[in-house]
Amino acid sequence: MTPADRPVDEDELHAQIDGRLSPHRAAAVDAHLAAHPGTQERFSQYAEQRQALRAAFAAQAAGPIPDRLRIARIREERWHRRYRQLAQIAAAVSLLILGGVAGWAVRDVTGPLAATGVGTVAGVITADAIAAHRIYSVEVRHPVEVNADQETHLVQWLSKRLGRELTVPDLSPAGFRLMGGRLLPAEDGPAAQFMYENGSSERLTLYLRVGVGGETAFRYHEEGGIGAFYWSDEGFGYAIAAKANRDLLLRIAELVYKQTSPNGARAKIPPPPGKPS
Amino acid sequence: MIAATPTLAAGASDRPAGRLLSWLLGSRSSYGDAMPDQAALIEPHIPGLRRFACALLHGDRHSADDLVQDCLERALSRWHLRWAEGDVRGWLYTILYNRFLSDQHRRQRRGMHDAALEVAEAELPGVEGGQYSALAHRDLLRAFAVLPEEQRSVLILIAVEDLSYEEAARVLGVPIGTVMSRLSRGRERLRYLLDGEMNGGQRRRSATLTRVG
Repeated sequence: MTPADRPVDEDELHAQIDGRLSPHRAAAVDAHLAAHPGTQERFSQYAEQRQALRAAFAAQAAGPIPDRLRIARIREERWHRRYRQLAQIAAAVSLLILGGVAGWAVRDVTGPLAATGVGTVAGVITADAIAAHRIYSVEVRHPVEVNADQETHLVQWLSKRLGRELTVPDLSPAGFRLMGGRLLPAEDGPAAQFMYENGSSERLTLYLRVGVGGETAFRYHEEGGIGAFYWSDEGFGYAIAAKANRDLLLRIAELVYKQTSPNGARAKIPPPPGKPS
Repeated sequence: MIAATPTLAAGASDRPAGRLLSWLLGSRSSYGDAMPDQAALIEPHIPGLRRFACALLHGDRHSADDLVQDCLERALSRWHLRWAEGDVRGWLYTILYNRFLSDQHRRQRRGMHDAALEVAEAELPGVEGGQYSALAHRDLLRAFAVLPEEQRSVLILIAVEDLSYEEAARVLGVPIGTVMSRLSRGRERLRYLLDGEMNGGQRRRSATLTRVG
């Protein structure tokens, strides 16, 4: 039996109206339909139906393609969406970094000194000044390294060690006289301490560091009964510490500021002649 | 005199760094030269996709265009997964059909019913000089909408979109024998529903007599 002789099945009749019939079966299909008028009628209706469906759906999807179905438009939308996602990721990453930096920046302030409300440098210097005051102001025999009677030498020595020309303020208007001074180790270099005493044997210390940037207003902090005013000016960080009330400390701080700052009415002690011994 | 600047972009997306850059910058550059191709390969099939979607969604044109848009977005995001033999049309129809099925599934899970069996009648234009008036189109589409979805899909793909039986089987994910039996049943059902409108009163009467007898 050759392929052309094979009985025609229903699938082949559909294939004929769909244009999918292989040519060598066309004759067999035609013969089959001729021999079966009922089938021929049915399939001619299917063929009509096919044409009608095409026309009806062509009409339904007629007209230009709407903009929102354009590939360029959809691609643009996708790009914007991805861009927004990237922007969100970038924002999240920046927040993380910002948080890390902020956390690092405030790490020194978060101790007991956070209460000072001052920045890192101010907090450290104030704490050092108070600690140094606590240790040396109670000394009876050796409160200072170099005595006030060698004031010239004291100033030259400390100026040399700190690398800046120092000024020793005169606090006699507040009733305090200079006892002397000493060199102290600080976080990243030397610090200087000058000690003063009044007629009631009350002592106050002026603590100095160099290399402190910026200029700040007076900031007060108190710890263990010792009060301190801190400020910075002209590259110096100053802290004045004493077991005294805040008003007195402020008066003294102002006195020191006036004599050390070019902005204050400066009463500078002239640099002594000659080299230190 | 300005020296010509060498173009560095060409071929950049072939290298790993280029691909990463492409991903970061998105499709604007990720497909490089393939971009015009995408539009050229996809857009000719959009009218057919809209017809297919209309047939699946009972002629609701707005929902049909939503479905097509969804399909196109997926096609662009999975462009690298398109069928190797280059049958973009079959691949697009498959995406659309799968989207339709999953939407359908979701709707059914939510307990929502199928959209009303309504054909958007108002907008159907007449076909001038054709055998069928707009009225006939309306009746045909209304009858078509009554068919089960599986028969509608087979009829639209084969009779309207001219897919081969094999292509239709692949799009619908069923064996070719299933396609043939659905085609046969769909055509007969539609003939039955339209008997009279399409074929005149004479045939309707005889058909009625046949059924009664």
